[in-house]
Amino acid sequence: MDITFHNVTHVYHPKTPFERTALDRINLRIRSGSFTSIIGHTGSGKSTLVQHINGLLRPTSGLITAGDLKIQAQKKKQDLKPLRRKIGLVFQYPEHQLFEETVIKDVCFGPMNFGVPSAEATKRAEECLSLVGLPSQFWHQSPFDLSGGQMRRVAIAGVLAVNPEVVILDEPTAGLDPSGRKEILNLFKKLHQEMNLTIIMVTHNMGDAATLSDEVVVMDSGRLVMSGTPEQIFSRDRELRKIGLDVPETMLFLDSLTDKFDQPRMTPVFSLKGTADRIAGLMNGGAADV
Amino acid sequence: MFNLVIGQYVPLDSVIHRMDPRSKLISVFMFVVIVFLANNWLTNVLLILFCLGGILTSKISPAFLFRGLRSILIIVLLTFFLNLFFTGGGPLLLHIGWVRIYQNGLIQSIFITNRILVIIVMTTLLTLTTSPMEITDGMETLLNPLKKIKVPVHEFALMMAISLRFIPTLLEETEKIIKAQAARGSDFTSGSLKSRMKAIVPLLVPLFVSAFKRAEDLAMAMEARGYHGDFGRTRLHKLVWKRRDTLLLLTMGLLTVALILARL
Repeated sequence: MDITFHNVTHVYHPKTPFERTALDRINLRIRSGSFTSIIGHTGSGKSTLVQHINGLLRPTSGLITAGDLKIQAQKKKQDLKPLRRKIGLVFQYPEHQLFEETVIKDVCFGPMNFGVPSAEATKRAEECLSLVGLPSQFWHQSPFDLSGGQMRRVAIAGVLAVNPEVVILDEPTAGLDPSGRKEILNLFKKLHQEMNLTIIMVTHNMGDAATLSDEVVVMDSGRLVMSGTPEQIFSRDRELRKIGLDVPETMLFLDSLTDKFDQPRMTPVFSLKGTADRIAGLMNGGAADV
Repeated sequence: MFNLVIGQYVPLDSVIHRMDPRSKLISVFMFVVIVFLANNWLTNVLLILFCLGGILTSKISPAFLFRGLRSILIIVLLTFFLNLFFTGGGPLLLHIGWVRIYQNGLIQSIFITNRILVIIVMTTLLTLTTSPMEITDGMETLLNPLKKIKVPVHEFALMMAISLRFIPTLLEETEKIIKAQAARGSDFTSGSLKSRMKAIVPLLVPLFVSAFKRAEDLAMAMEARGYHGDFGRTRLHKLVWKRRDTLLLLTMGLLTVALILARL
């Protein structure tokens, strides 16, 4: 399901002293089956942008299409359930939305809201809980007895259980320890590759944006300033720094290394293995770009 | 979705904003009392003029203020019509079916509606121009004498300050949880009453959990910074009574006298 933004503007608290333009004429196309990262400074409009995709926010003007569904500014009530069934959204700190008595019931909440019968919902819940790697001994416990990382996995399972085609992640790894971070990111990588889910991820981590996604969108003060492949985006390091962002650590490392040896700057590389290859090339006296 | 203006603070720079919260609190309190002195056209117009003067000096956009008042319009209209239909006296103006409207009823309901409106405008003006912290500080200082008879004034003020401080936070939290559950297909706005009541549970449970957690964190953070109650506590922002505050109270006094003289 392709998602497009046509001239989307969103103004918070219009016509009050608190008026603020959060999105300013955004045009964007997110291809079906892609992994898109949205990066930008705090308050640049990333979260506002993604909340438009499943109709939690309506644009002040402009149009968003998701498949053949349309979202635009209007007062009239629109049934957004078909949209939300196909587009799942994992909020920042999603563990705050848990409420049921048991983990499994909480995961079933989503599917049952969309009319999936109880037995089928339970089956899906079990599948999704295994998928996110929560051992079955926890399934019948209260979600509030779990650790923070486990609660987050339950919350993510709760979104996946609806079987969405598109999953939006708003800073999915905020506040997790390094191993928890890695597991969550690997999970989404796997979902993207094996189940062909379209994934849209809001992140502050340039490394994650570079290694995971095939498309990067850069936001600054409500405007979309760049979009392209990670290689294209992160080779524009000067522009990125101007808006308070940076390039992935692998590139910072290679840049300081080449500077030390008076070598020309290298083209972007994001993985540790790729970085090692570059260093090996440099040490063997060959060209920096292997 | 939460466009309630009452209780919101709009940080602007006007004479009213700069006034001491104590003088503002006393004035609003006085105003709420003297509003009941108004019993004829002249006194009611006087009240309206006073309100308009207040709004103009506060630099708050009247459109913003009145738009915020829309949310309580239903209460105002209800009062108006109840008084209109059920107050007798004077010549009969209108008679349709069981509805009989008398002249006195009409006048009475206009006066009462006006009374409610000016009270709401003035109290809203207080909160729009005074930050919650200033209001609680002012209250605490005003109520200080009660400490002599062992009323825990400081503790009450602290409770109030904390509640006011966390209203926006909790509203934000509520909005976030509503969105998170809506993204999972929960529907708060349509369906039967029973299904809507059921949709509240996924909202309330997370809200309570986070409120308790916040309270715990706050208590811990306060203790870590050495909070030990009222005794020996100093203030960062000392309240200063200036000439404009005395002037405000004098104006209120004048208004009171004018109302007494103009009433019948």
